Amino acid sequence: MLVMNNITKVFRTETVETHALKQFSLTVNEGDFVAVTGPSGSGKTTFLNIAGLLESFDDGEYTLDGRSVKNLNDKQLSQLRNEKIGFIFQSFNLIPDLNLFDNVDVPLRYRKLSKAERKERIEHSLDVVGLANRMRHLPSQLSGGQQQRVAIARALAGNPLFLLADEPTGNLDSKMADSVMSLLEEINQSGTTIVMVTHDLSQAERAHRHIQVLDGQVTEQKRGAPELATVNA
Amino acid sequence: MWLYYTRLAWLSLKRHPLLSLLMSGAIALGIGAAMTTITINYLMSADPIPEKSDRLFYVQLDNWSPNEPYDEPNEPPDQLTYTDATALKAQAPAQLQTALAQSGGVIEPQGLGKEPFLARLRLTHNDFFTMFNAPFLYGQGWSDSADETGDRSIVLSKSANEEIFAGENSVGRTVRLEGKEFRVVGVLDEWVLKPRFYDVTTGAFNEMEDAYLPFKLKETMELPNSGNTNCWKMPEGEGFKSFLTSECVNFQFWVQLDSAQEKQEYMSFLNAYVEEQKKLGRFPRPLNNRLTDVMGWMEHENVVDDDAEVMMYLSLMFLAVCLLNTIGLLLTKFSFKTGEIALRRAVGATRMQLYQQQLVETVFIGVAGGIGGLILAALGLLGIEYLYGDQVKDLASLNLPLLGIGILLAIISSVLAGAYPTWRTCRIPPASQLKSE
Amino acid sequence: MSQIGPIFRALMRNKVGALLIALQVAVTMVIIVNAIHLINARGDLMGRSSGLDEANQFYVTSVGYANDFDAPYVIDTDLDGIRQLPSVDDAVQINAIPMSNGGWSMGLQTKAGEGENSVPTALYMTDEHGLNTLDVELIAGENFKATEISYRDRNTRDWPQSVILTEALAKSLFPDLSPTEIVGQTVYIQSNEPLTIIGIMDHLQAPWTGWTTVNHSMLVPNKFDSPYSRYLVRAKPGQREQAIEQVEQFMKQREVGRMVRETETMTQVRMDSYRGDSALQAILWTIIVVLCIITALGIVGLVSFSINRRRRQIGTRRALGAQKADIMSYFLTENVMITSVGVLLGIAGSIALNMWLVSSFNLPRLSYIYLPIAMIAMWAIGLFAVWGPALRAAQISPAIATRNVYH
Repeated sequence: MLVMNNITKVFRTETVETHALKQFSLTVNEGDFVAVTGPSGSGKTTFLNIAGLLESFDDGEYTLDGRSVKNLNDKQLSQLRNEKIGFIFQSFNLIPDLNLFDNVDVPLRYRKLSKAERKERIEHSLDVVGLANRMRHLPSQLSGGQQQRVAIARALAGNPLFLLADEPTGNLDSKMADSVMSLLEEINQSGTTIVMVTHDLSQAERAHRHIQVLDGQVTEQKRGAPELATVNA
Repeated sequence: MWLYYTRLAWLSLKRHPLLSLLMSGAIALGIGAAMTTITINYLMSADPIPEKSDRLFYVQLDNWSPNEPYDEPNEPPDQLTYTDATALKAQAPAQLQTALAQSGGVIEPQGLGKEPFLARLRLTHNDFFTMFNAPFLYGQGWSDSADETGDRSIVLSKSANEEIFAGENSVGRTVRLEGKEFRVVGVLDEWVLKPRFYDVTTGAFNEMEDAYLPFKLKETMELPNSGNTNCWKMPEGEGFKSFLTSECVNFQFWVQLDSAQEKQEYMSFLNAYVEEQKKLGRFPRPLNNRLTDVMGWMEHENVVDDDAEVMMYLSLMFLAVCLLNTIGLLLTKFSFKTGEIALRRAVGATRMQLYQQQLVETVFIGVAGGIGGLILAALGLLGIEYLYGDQVKDLASLNLPLLGIGILLAIISSVLAGAYPTWRTCRIPPASQLKSE
Repeated sequence: MSQIGPIFRALMRNKVGALLIALQVAVTMVIIVNAIHLINARGDLMGRSSGLDEANQFYVTSVGYANDFDAPYVIDTDLDGIRQLPSVDDAVQINAIPMSNGGWSMGLQTKAGEGENSVPTALYMTDEHGLNTLDVELIAGENFKATEISYRDRNTRDWPQSVILTEALAKSLFPDLSPTEIVGQTVYIQSNEPLTIIGIMDHLQAPWTGWTTVNHSMLVPNKFDSPYSRYLVRAKPGQREQAIEQVEQFMKQREVGRMVRETETMTQVRMDSYRGDSALQAILWTIIVVLCIITALGIVGLVSFSINRRRRQIGTRRALGAQKADIMSYFLTENVMITSVGVLLGIAGSIALNMWLVSSFNLPRLSYIYLPIAMIAMWAIGLFAVWGPALRAAQISPAIATRNVYH
């Protein structure tokens, strides 16, 4: 459902050209839990941005849910992001002015959903992350771990094809990090595909697949169980 | 969706109440200052008789000295001599034309406890009431024969009628003016012209007259001159008559011309008249007759005060400062929102949707600023009235079209102030602000 | 000062924000310079002396309406009575009130004949009490004699023989002669009618305060035979209130078929005459004050925000050894740099606006002394506005550098 084929991304400044991704290929199947690791500057963030349709690429083919994204305009890309992808960020990126309910509501607002349906989805996804009783609280009233749970609820509320997590535990202490990881595992077990970028190898081990990126290319893939992923050459 | 944006805008404004107050306060002050001065200028330059201002023409003839023009460069006098005013009326080639003069006299109301008072008088012909759409409460203007013979007929203003007859229908009754009995033929309803365009020689915003009399009475009653009298040579001979036959100008003349052809014909008539007079030894200067319509004449007479105009330009610059202020503050405020905007982009909001969201917030500020501005403008106008007193009577009030201008100005201002910050904020690429430091 | 380079580079990264403040400063300065210039120009106009003893003078109008109203009789007896009132110093009938913007003007020429160069002057008709009532001093020649005073009416065409001119008018007519030499000279009115200058008075303004030759005035030994008559009264020093009351009472109790209208003090006449000017001054002052407040608040707002955004950076600097004074001076220097750009734009703009005002509205040309004053004022406003936020920035704890902030 997520197929990247020979993706190339070059950053140009006046003096240098940096190949962030070189002939990058990856396929993620439904139900997968993929961890992407790599040192700073390896290109993993670029991968994440392209996978999340936040950035364009220079060459190659990217097919999402059977649809090539190469020539889509801003509006179409926005719609795809909204419907297919759920984002989780290292710094949570909750909107401080809005309470939890409204924060989870954000992606739903850009869809044509009835008020009742939105409410049901928000309540359900907050319930999944165990914060249904704090809907009217502001993000600043929560701990870091709880904030990240809200962000996960927000990502889930849209019922996306897959979750894209960027260092989801990077700002959390180990105890909170562990509980967030357990939550992600639970979510994956209930059928949601997850792609997670991390620098923490111990967390990467908890995924089904572990991909290492170096100099903009996939260098190594470790398979965990179950074998659901295939790798293009 | 708009409801959602409204809620977001409200939350965002509430989060920085002082800043929101500063931004809308700045717009309010700018709009307030601009609206105050625009109102004054608008009302000063308003068309006092829009239904026919392009068909009423002020007549100027150049009877001035052979040695120098009345005014540089080669301007004819702004008034006529008695000789010319009466001759133009007598020959009357147009449907409607009237001479005018200011005068004054003491009216002695009859009845207990009523004091005599000095009345502002307007000497004119009966066409005056038709030409300038004077509204009658009772009766009408005097007859043509009164124009010719100088009957002692009088038309009172509403306020004079209240003073003398306690507001009753006084048509047919008599008024004592300058020691003579006058018969009331009409009473006007409330009538205020701003500017009082038919005679601006002593100030465009002077009060309307208390009473109107046949022009002929100037001669028969030897009524005193009022307003400006200008002479390039002294009257020859003795007595009041010598003033009336002199080259001194103290009289205005208006004519109604309904088509370009009529105007052309009237101009030819004026030229022929002056040529005729030249044969009699008058009009030593070259032919220099003018016909100017109402708004042209207002322009020529500089009816809009220079100070008012200068203040308007300064206050528009003041508004510019207030807008720059708000742009700067909005820009900084929005720059704090890049995180939120990037997130909204990531979860699928289009650029357009984010534009709209930010725009609603700016419009909020603009509307608050606009309402505040109109309130400040009302206060500003009170202040102007206090400072200038009678000089700006009735010129310092907001009316419906002005409120419209004010609201429009507020919206344009806020959109102007919000456009760049909104554009810049929404332009940020979605991926850039999502990583932590 | 070594900070200038880094501050400048930091500013260039937020060009628009800095430019907005600079522009705001510039437009504010343009308005302030021109407004103060206008205020002072009007102040100069209002500061001119009328030549009168305004604090003690007032005038009163009498309008006769009875058929048998005998103007000369009423005027003479009125004046006699008023002059004898205990609080009155002196009184005259006068045809025009100085500063009232209504009066008579005539042309005088040194050579007889039509088409000769003539000098315009205001004309005041008074009797021999005129000089004292108006409070003008003779600097040469002599006053009218009581026997010289004659009545004229509106149809009188000829003029009395002797006149008294202001020094300014005399100088315009005879630029090469001294006042004593001018006394005795002949000038011509209505082209051909000769007048003898019997006296030169120091200063008396014409009735029209906006007139280009406002210092040209002339006294003529006439009284005016008309039912409409104005008396100028000079009270004994400090007794104007009593004098007004006594004059009104005296005039109203005489039953001669006339009405007594409006008593107006010369202080009021001056206020009415310069009302537009003082109103303009008040409005411009309001604009200046509000503008300074807005600009200052705008700067406070912008700087506060930019400090908030840089809290962590400031904390880091503190942690790395910057003193509070260094943080303060960073923001003060930044502000001075931005304000200076604004001030430079402001100078150009002020001159441009003034040139436009001069050509479009005939306003006076800008005196360049206002520019440095306004520059200093703008710097002061900028520093004043930035002081508070900068002080708060200096209080930011270095510990913030090690804290984890999410937003």
